[in-house]
Amino acid sequence: MTDEIDFDAILGKYHSDPYDYVEICATHTGRVSFKVAEGSNVNSPSGEWLHIPGSPLFEITRERNPKLVTAKTNGTISSVRTELEGQFVEAGERLLTIRHPLKKKEVIEGILKKVLYLFPAPERAKYFFSLDIQSRIEKNGAKALTVKPGDEIIIMSLMKRDTPIYYTGETGVIHSIYFTPGASVDQGQPLIGICASDKLPLIQKIITRVKADWDKLIEPAHLED
Amino acid sequence: MMAINCPTPASLQEYLWKHELPNRLQKPQPPSPEKIIRYGAIIGSVIHCHSSMGRTMDQARQHIINLEEAGSSAASGTVILADTLMHSKGRFSRTWHAPTGGLWGCVILANTFMPRARTLLPLTLGVACCEAVRDLGAQNAYVRWVNDVMVSGQKLGGFLVESFCTPRYGEEYHLLGFGININNNCFPDTLTNMAVSLSHTLGHPVNLLDFTLSFLAKMTWNIGLLCYEEEQDLHSDYSWENLEGQKDHLLLEQWKNLSDTLGRRVLYGYDIQKKPQYEAKVTGIRQDGAIIMRLDDGNQIVEHSGELQYL
Repeated sequence: MTDEIDFDAILGKYHSDPYDYVEICATHTGRVSFKVAEGSNVNSPSGEWLHIPGSPLFEITRERNPKLVTAKTNGTISSVRTELEGQFVEAGERLLTIRHPLKKKEVIEGILKKVLYLFPAPERAKYFFSLDIQSRIEKNGAKALTVKPGDEIIIMSLMKRDTPIYYTGETGVIHSIYFTPGASVDQGQPLIGICASDKLPLIQKIITRVKADWDKLIEPAHLED
Repeated sequence: MMAINCPTPASLQEYLWKHELPNRLQKPQPPSPEKIIRYGAIIGSVIHCHSSMGRTMDQARQHIINLEEAGSSAASGTVILADTLMHSKGRFSRTWHAPTGGLWGCVILANTFMPRARTLLPLTLGVACCEAVRDLGAQNAYVRWVNDVMVSGQKLGGFLVESFCTPRYGEEYHLLGFGININNNCFPDTLTNMAVSLSHTLGHPVNLLDFTLSFLAKMTWNIGLLCYEEEQDLHSDYSWENLEGQKDHLLLEQWKNLSDTLGRRVLYGYDIQKKPQYEAKVTGIRQDGAIIMRLDDGNQIVEHSGELQYL
């Protein structure tokens, strides 16, 4: 992590294009049938338990087994590879792109993710802090807690099988927590963001700067906290 | 002090071939029952019996560490039993009452499983326990997702699986903990309406050693099923990412036979005692063991972890 951050360059990027471009790829091999066109608006999952699926994006059929893939994020379809309609595609083939308007919190998180060490979820499962870590967080807060490689920090729970997860990144404090105990986290998604304790002032500077510049940064029509 | 419940690997082997295999052959079975038993026969290859200890899971971890420090490694399938546990607990540090008369222990398994088998591993315990208690006549025993064994709404057997990575060489093990109320009929006030013993259910005492052999033999079978299905998967166009639409895994098929969860109206929660989340109707179970439920607004929800309470 570097101490030198070109705030003007980063904020300028968000100013000129305050969107995230989410590429949606084929989950596995199969024949593709699109459910959206360029310019369509799509919604992310909703409901109290995020149980109402997002907008349908495409259906992929393998061995007479169709699977409907829905949007995990809201936005506008900025491109669709219509030439693949009805075609057989390989797993990982890019199919379409969603242009997602960023909120202030997402801009901050986006910048922080570039400067924090992100500890990813090893499997799609539910996660919770180990009892010791949880009690220390409750007592003193996450930012007062230093974790180092080898520490048992998180428990992964899948089908009533609890697996301790040992921290493997650089020594530091837990700055960001990206999971909610009891909610499923997809494989590879960050669980926590860690930074060296002496870098905390820099992180705070980022947050303060984005908050201060937010109104200038984003056009009024896009304003959303 | 000598342990009371003290099965041996030899007695388990004898039970497997003289009782378990003939029993299995009487029912419709997959094509290779002998092969399935051989696959699972690591269960109980080593059995440690103790009169008393804190927790068998802790003992298992220490056993693995001690062997690693001595330049060796724990035999996969090692079973640790204790007549009574002093510091037993369930998930989320819930208390578990483990006096003499019950079956308390854990199985150490090296993590040699592929993702599908690893995910279904916790089901083996509930299925094995339910099969063993039904063999003794408790036909009103059912498995509640994931693997609780219940009789008339009261828990007879509880199970949890913890994974463990050794400190020096990073070897991975699964510790399969089991607690089954057999002849222990007295429960603390807080558990009186929630727990039940097998002897109470049957109306007579149960031979604990015989039950232990039966349970371990059924664990052998169900772990064997996981290995057998892995072999089938390796010879087919298997895709962990796209299991739906494929034929039922043999373990899931048996789980469905023994469970009364499907079709039930339930309360779901990740930790249901502390934080119940929502009510729903169970509509199915996926090939990866996840439960499918329909909420009152008509939407479907899939959960890979958590707890159910029947309504």
